Amino acid sequence: MSETTFMGVERDKIDWKPTIDYSKCDYCMECTKFCPHRVFEVHENEEIKLIVKNPNNCVVFCRACSKICGPDALSFPDKNATTLSIKEIRKEENNA
Amino acid sequence: MLENFAILPCNGLDKCAGVISGEIAKKLCENDKNEIICPVFYRVADAKYNKIAGEHPLLVIDGCPTRCASKLAAEKNLKISQRILITEEAKYHHIELNSGLRILENEKSLIEIILNGLNKAEAKPTKVSKETKASYNFEYETFQNGKFIFRVPKNPEVFFNENDCWAYVVGNRARIGVTDFVQQNLSDILYFTPPEIGAEIDQFGEVGDIESSKALVELISPVSGKVVSINETLVQKPEMINENPYELGWIAEIELTDFESDKELLIGFDKYFEIMKKKVEASNG
Repeated sequence: MSETTFMGVERDKIDWKPTIDYSKCDYCMECTKFCPHRVFEVHENEEIKLIVKNPNNCVVFCRACSKICGPDALSFPDKNATTLSIKEIRKEENNA
Repeated sequence: MLENFAILPCNGLDKCAGVISGEIAKKLCENDKNEIICPVFYRVADAKYNKIAGEHPLLVIDGCPTRCASKLAAEKNLKISQRILITEEAKYHHIELNSGLRILENEKSLIEIILNGLNKAEAKPTKVSKETKASYNFEYETFQNGKFIFRVPKNPEVFFNENDCWAYVVGNRARIGVTDFVQQNLSDILYFTPPEIGAEIDQFGEVGDIESSKALVELISPVSGKVVSINETLVQKPEMINENPYELGWIAEIELTDFESDKELLIGFDKYFEIMKKKVEASNG
């Protein structure tokens, strides 16, 4: 059971998180400084130095980190698809 | 003709877009009524540039979305009159920038397009904002956290999404904006990017953004429809969102396309009041 909900749906049932394109990311770490929800985690001594550690902390529909990403390395799911999926889950839960 | 401006480029030397920002600034300053602000020198000795920035409207030229020049302007408490983001301009004009640092053909074309745009800005036809005559009479419930008072409208016509945006629905139109939670969190709002008049917006689609020295917030529309009006005063006075994000600081008006369906995913005063309280408590530890 998820601890948080968004629009009445358990957060971990909603696919909304940033995806890092490692071919573009230059590890400037601006996103980690920017996001107050600790979605990202820095692994300074590893080859992959940045990961999406807490996807469920990501605010559904917020894409602000991708807007401040210099190398344009962050992407998000399609908003309309996410909205539809939230509506579907709510419908299923209401009918259950 | 862009004249009498102070021009602050990011002048980033490690990305092509940064190099272009510097190039555009230099070209604009061939007109000696414009003044360039060197971001490097500004960091270490600001007396000279504070004076220039105080005497002229400010054009900020950011190369990439890291927006170093905008951040510098925010740190120095400068009011931005106009802003350009080179990577966004390149995307808009379908121009691919090279991965190196040289100004080649594509980059030259982009520079030319941007300079022409800046110099002809006054001649650009502007779309007319058709603000509704409807009256919006807000009634609030408030709560206090520390020294801050938070207001939440309790009118039944006002709906919220969980992204802290509101919609006041009158007939087939809605006026939208952000809640007190957003404006308190951002503190002094320095920049407002409005949505385009005429744009078709999906529910939860973006309707512009607002920015302070602390953060950038994407405005997430509670409703779907067409943008028919924007609060033009905010472009020059974004701080009005801090004064009152419901009345003077409204963002836009939307002609609704499917409010019955949108309503399914919106909440009213009772639920949002509780959600906002929890968010305020969580953000203050």
